[in-house]
Amino acid sequence: MRETDCCLEAEGIVLKAGRAPLTVRFRPGEIVGLAGLDGHGQEVFLEVLAGWRRPLAGEVRHSGRAGDAPRPIRNFRDAMRRGVAYLPRDRRRTGIFPALSILDNFAIASLNRDTRIGFISPRIRRERYSRFKDLLSIVADDPRRTITTLSGGNQQKVLLARLLVREPDVLLLNDPTRGVDVATRQLLYGVFKDLASKGMTIVILSSEIEEAIFLSSRVLVFRDSTLSAELSGVELDNDRVISAMFGRAA
Amino acid sequence: MTATAAKMKGQAERFRLPGIAGIGFAGLLFVVLLLVNVYLNPERFLPHSWGTLIGLAAPLISAALASTPAILSGRGGLDVSIGPLMGFVNAIVVTIIIAKWGLAGPVAVWVAAIVIGAAFGAFNGFLAAIVRIQPIVATLGTYLVLAGLTTTIVPSPTGTIPSWFSGLSGAWSFIPLLVIGLLWFALTRTPYYTALMATGSEDRAAFTSGLNVTLIRFLAYLVGGVFAGIAGLSLTALIGSADPNIGETYTLLAISSVALGGVSLAGGRGGFIGATIGALDIFLLQSALIYFNVSTFILQTAYGAILVLAVASTAMQKSSGGRDL
Repeated sequence: MRETDCCLEAEGIVLKAGRAPLTVRFRPGEIVGLAGLDGHGQEVFLEVLAGWRRPLAGEVRHSGRAGDAPRPIRNFRDAMRRGVAYLPRDRRRTGIFPALSILDNFAIASLNRDTRIGFISPRIRRERYSRFKDLLSIVADDPRRTITTLSGGNQQKVLLARLLVREPDVLLLNDPTRGVDVATRQLLYGVFKDLASKGMTIVILSSEIEEAIFLSSRVLVFRDSTLSAELSGVELDNDRVISAMFGRAA
Repeated sequence: MTATAAKMKGQAERFRLPGIAGIGFAGLLFVVLLLVNVYLNPERFLPHSWGTLIGLAAPLISAALASTPAILSGRGGLDVSIGPLMGFVNAIVVTIIIAKWGLAGPVAVWVAAIVIGAAFGAFNGFLAAIVRIQPIVATLGTYLVLAGLTTTIVPSPTGTIPSWFSGLSGAWSFIPLLVIGLLWFALTRTPYYTALMATGSEDRAAFTSGLNVTLIRFLAYLVGGVFAGIAGLSLTALIGSADPNIGETYTLLAISSVALGGVSLAGGRGGFIGATIGALDIFLLQSALIYFNVSTFILQTAYGAILVLAVASTAMQKSSGGRDL
């Protein structure tokens, strides 16, 4: 039953006045790439999925783990509560807390899970962190130091761990490998594929076409704030994506 | 084993160092002022007069602590109504709870102070966090309302307090401070504290992390209000009556103390220890200058000079030490 159930669906979304509405369903266990020239609506669409932004028309619906009927997502916090996690693009301004420790940066979205009769147990927090430290190979000798002591790639891993600890069923990634070194990229690719194979829906916006093609089973190409092409299978190659980005028929 | 222990200790020290550096100037000033005070007036600093000494300093220290949560909550968070709120608690407790209703016991007095503090803290939080009026404007409104109410209830100094209450400025003067300290310490061990510091330092990232930024800010004002209510008890114990003119003076001194103690007015940085040391600096400066019979006008000038110096030195420490980016 779960396989056929849709866990995130965008219906009749209008991103800009006068543009054709888009309807997309995202199934459990698939990785969907979003591509397009900068500013052609793919980022706005991702933010709409995250509940971060309201579309001009249409709605985003989500059905939870239990397989209940899809309900519309009201806003960003509602989306988060229900298991739709969003990794923003601007790590510096909307991601990390430079003044806080690595541990606090990791735990900030799941503070209530470290508590015992209402008080934080540092031990539980460290244990939770060390699970993800291993999973994502975070390189940091002392998690109590500020997050700014880490490299960009490791900061990104901490942010990802922050989201994954909430056990989301949809993961929305806004250019997650920007400013991240090659080794870390490979590791993140492995993690994404692994998460998808366990049933998580992943939507990834990438500014690199190769990355979107490598990871995704489907790529949605945006042009002028609406869908220009949906490519999958044998159709999914560099040339077709680029053609669609520039609005030429492949 | 010892090697790892030594390594861990080294890391712990490296980790703690910024905290000490942050209150460096205020800490240094504290030591100097303490030595000057002990030299000038050794009798006052002997153990048998500690109770009275703490009782003298307690209203200012508690006022500084009451100002801290709102400031930590960031985006211009500031509660200027702390002083008048202390004055209002003083007036209500002395003239209504004790004199009019005859409820002179500790339970009634403490409950009244905390409830009044919480109510006005919540009111400030509602205006600043939920209605989103600029905090300084919102709490200035509360300031004026409270100051007006207090002078209406108590036009001139009046009333007395029972002996247990006066004890809160003598042998038991540490109690209100201890209560505030324990409440805050407990709070720092809850998820709320991490959320508060996170919201204060980067509210956009806090929102992205799914935190309820509005609720966190609201609670900061509420907590500050509760502490201000307790501060009102220290004040009442010290002056022993209801006085409409004293409370207001604490607002600016409290904010000066907090800034002096290295709590960033931009939010998210600093803590209670810094605020306490800042308040002690102001208190010791006050008592040293009063020893020389300096006029209160000069006293004000001295506070101002020290404050500017402290904030400037903190700013320089940050720029030379390389702000952690």
